[in-house]
Amino acid sequence: MTAPISHLDLLEAESIHIFREAAAQFRRPVLLYSIGKDSTVLLHLARKAFYPAKLPFPLMHIDTTWKFREMIAFRDQTVKNFGLDLIVHTNEDGRERGINPIDYAPSIYTDVMKTVALKQGLDKYQFDAGFGGARRDEEASRAKERVFSFRAEGHRWDPRKQRPEMWHLLNGRLGSGETVRVFPLSNWTEKDVWRYILREKLDVVPLYIAKERPTVVRNGQIIMLDDERFPLKPGEKPQMRKIRFRTLGCYPLTAAIESDADTLESAVAETLSSTTSEREGRLIDHDQAGAMEKKKQEGYF
Amino acid sequence: MTALTAIKEPVTAAAPSIEAILGHELNGMLRVLTCGSVDDGKSTLIGRVLWDVADLPEDTRANIQRSKTSSGHPDFSLLLDGLVAEREQGITIDIAWRYFDTATRRIVIIDSPGHEQYTRNMASGASHADVAIMLIDARHGIKRQTKRHAAILDLMGVKRVILAVNKMDLVDWSEEKFRKIEADFRTLMWRFAFWEAIAIPASAVAGDNIASKSANMAWYTGPTLVEHLDEIPSRGIAPAGHFRFPVQTALRDAASDFRGLAGTVTSGSVEVGDRITDTVSGKTAKVQRISTFDGDLQKASQGQAVAIQLDTDLDIARGAVMAKPEQLPTITRTLDARLVWLSEDEYQQRKSYLLRTSTDLVPISTLEIRSLLDLETLAAHPATGASVNDIAIAHIALGRATALDAFSDLPETGNFMIVDAVTGASVAGGIVTAASTAAAATTGRPDAFILTRLMLERGLCADLGSDAKSQAEFNRRADEVSLLLRAAGVAVEFEVDDPGI
Repeated sequence: MTAPISHLDLLEAESIHIFREAAAQFRRPVLLYSIGKDSTVLLHLARKAFYPAKLPFPLMHIDTTWKFREMIAFRDQTVKNFGLDLIVHTNEDGRERGINPIDYAPSIYTDVMKTVALKQGLDKYQFDAGFGGARRDEEASRAKERVFSFRAEGHRWDPRKQRPEMWHLLNGRLGSGETVRVFPLSNWTEKDVWRYILREKLDVVPLYIAKERPTVVRNGQIIMLDDERFPLKPGEKPQMRKIRFRTLGCYPLTAAIESDADTLESAVAETLSSTTSEREGRLIDHDQAGAMEKKKQEGYF
Repeated sequence: MTALTAIKEPVTAAAPSIEAILGHELNGMLRVLTCGSVDDGKSTLIGRVLWDVADLPEDTRANIQRSKTSSGHPDFSLLLDGLVAEREQGITIDIAWRYFDTATRRIVIIDSPGHEQYTRNMASGASHADVAIMLIDARHGIKRQTKRHAAILDLMGVKRVILAVNKMDLVDWSEEKFRKIEADFRTLMWRFAFWEAIAIPASAVAGDNIASKSANMAWYTGPTLVEHLDEIPSRGIAPAGHFRFPVQTALRDAASDFRGLAGTVTSGSVEVGDRITDTVSGKTAKVQRISTFDGDLQKASQGQAVAIQLDTDLDIARGAVMAKPEQLPTITRTLDARLVWLSEDEYQQRKSYLLRTSTDLVPISTLEIRSLLDLETLAAHPATGASVNDIAIAHIALGRATALDAFSDLPETGNFMIVDAVTGASVAGGIVTAASTAAAATTGRPDAFILTRLMLERGLCADLGSDAKSQAEFNRRADEVSLLLRAAGVAVEFEVDDPGI
């Protein structure tokens, strides 16, 4: 190497190290694939870590049935392109009970269709480790998260029971009933994720790029109408707006921003020079103080 | 220097070109540990550094500006605090990670708390750090705690320290006070192996000597905190020391006839054509390919994650440390070490422990605590037990040989964790102070049960083949057998001459 190693090279090498440590130490790992930009980088790093061998674990997508249609199409295309092994899991009980993000409070919907669904999926296939794309820079309670984040029986996260991590040593020996969430992107920032997507020329869900899309404005947030399930209030008229998303989740719960950035480069440029933090676009996090920490204790990612 | 201050200008509304942003891929990374107690204003100091130089989002800035401390200043410490429970208590109880960019590189702030549990938290924080900022209150000077902090940093291998003498505003910006503290600091530093130690007078609340020179302390001609940080070289860019490659896993691809050893070069470098040896088995082969997703490399250096294909298949499994034959690590069954006891559960002689090295996991046959280190006097007091936050000097005998270096030579292959075999908890972190070669180590306890390869092959492992994966499973079962026997009160050792186990 003649050029100095860039910070992205350092982060990439560290993530590859983490993937390999986890794959070697756990019996049944799974990559928790959520289709967004972080998952895109996560998957790319996993492929690098085991190249030229195939991924030694499957992907699992927790489908709430309220993902944007373009996300599902992107997911299926990705699986096909790279010859991946994908498990899709939905909380069927929640689906039957009709739990949806429109009639129920975001906290209830998220708990049933995401948190409970995730626990079900992990239990059903007896995964002992799940790779997730969480980053320490995302939110204050994440800043103390470990790379190997241990969950007690029932997937509960207890901040006081986390193992100290020193140097590059990752201790994956499980106590009885324990499982682990593994976070290879722990030390990445949102900017790093985007820079890396551009550097590595990775495809992302087109929703990150601005396009004319049907929308309504509600409570000051721009909501995209992805299908017929979103009931309009009296007086609300769908309106075409040029919008894009900074983060992707379930469609009525993820707000869009108006933007002219209709190429990936310009969208990233806009994001990287933007002046608000990314979780502003996620409506569930405003639900209550310390929302994320509470969700984690209940078994969220 | 201007790199850090250059980005102090607020980002303008116009979106910069993508070239301008991607030109921003940074030349490396610096990890900064901050230690000190809440009372010394640590969160405020670090928050102030972030406020002055980091690319904070506008909404975050607005939040801080809205906040007020009792003294009426914006509460910069909010940039550092984490969990809800801690905000309520007003203290930090774990290490927290923060990231920001200067014009040239990534700065990672590792914040470690200063109160009761600080030894273990500081030690784990220090293990990730390139430089440490020790914070003290100018009114109180160097305290016992500062001495303990310095001792932990030294033990964990941190080479550069900064003493930030905070709250200078509360001692009327007195040069005399500062010089006295600086002199005490120098005296303290003589005891340690730091490469660089500097004291800087500052006021975090007012911003004096954080990013800009203090008008109140014209007598101070040294660098500001930010200026000094900016001068410190980034982490691990130049490969140093002997080549070490702890094998994480073997990668196989039938289609391309690939069989490689996956791992990260932890020190030195290796090139195609070099002869490398699996330290414990002594098997040697030539590097045929250094493979990555982005194409083959001619050379791999410290910090790079690669897969190495050898010219002959040596059946090497996870846990092996590859090195050059003339620069091998020590093959050892006994080591002297210093430990930081991390667990609330104290050391128990009857318990089964495992030694977790870079990629190996070895059953410990005896873990003998010999003394505890007094961090203030650095004197060792004879002891036979250790509990949370203790620094212990210990002698460890292993069930089988593994490859280790002295921490002072090669930190990445000279560190380890001690793992509770039953709960899996990481109970201690440690560094190797001396390792004796396997040949010299006739640990042989007369009462020890000798577990041989043959015994396992006949029964428990009869289903296993001879490939690397089976070998790893063989080792795992052997380890578990030894742990079970130990739990039943039987001392176990593996057959010495057998390189396999």
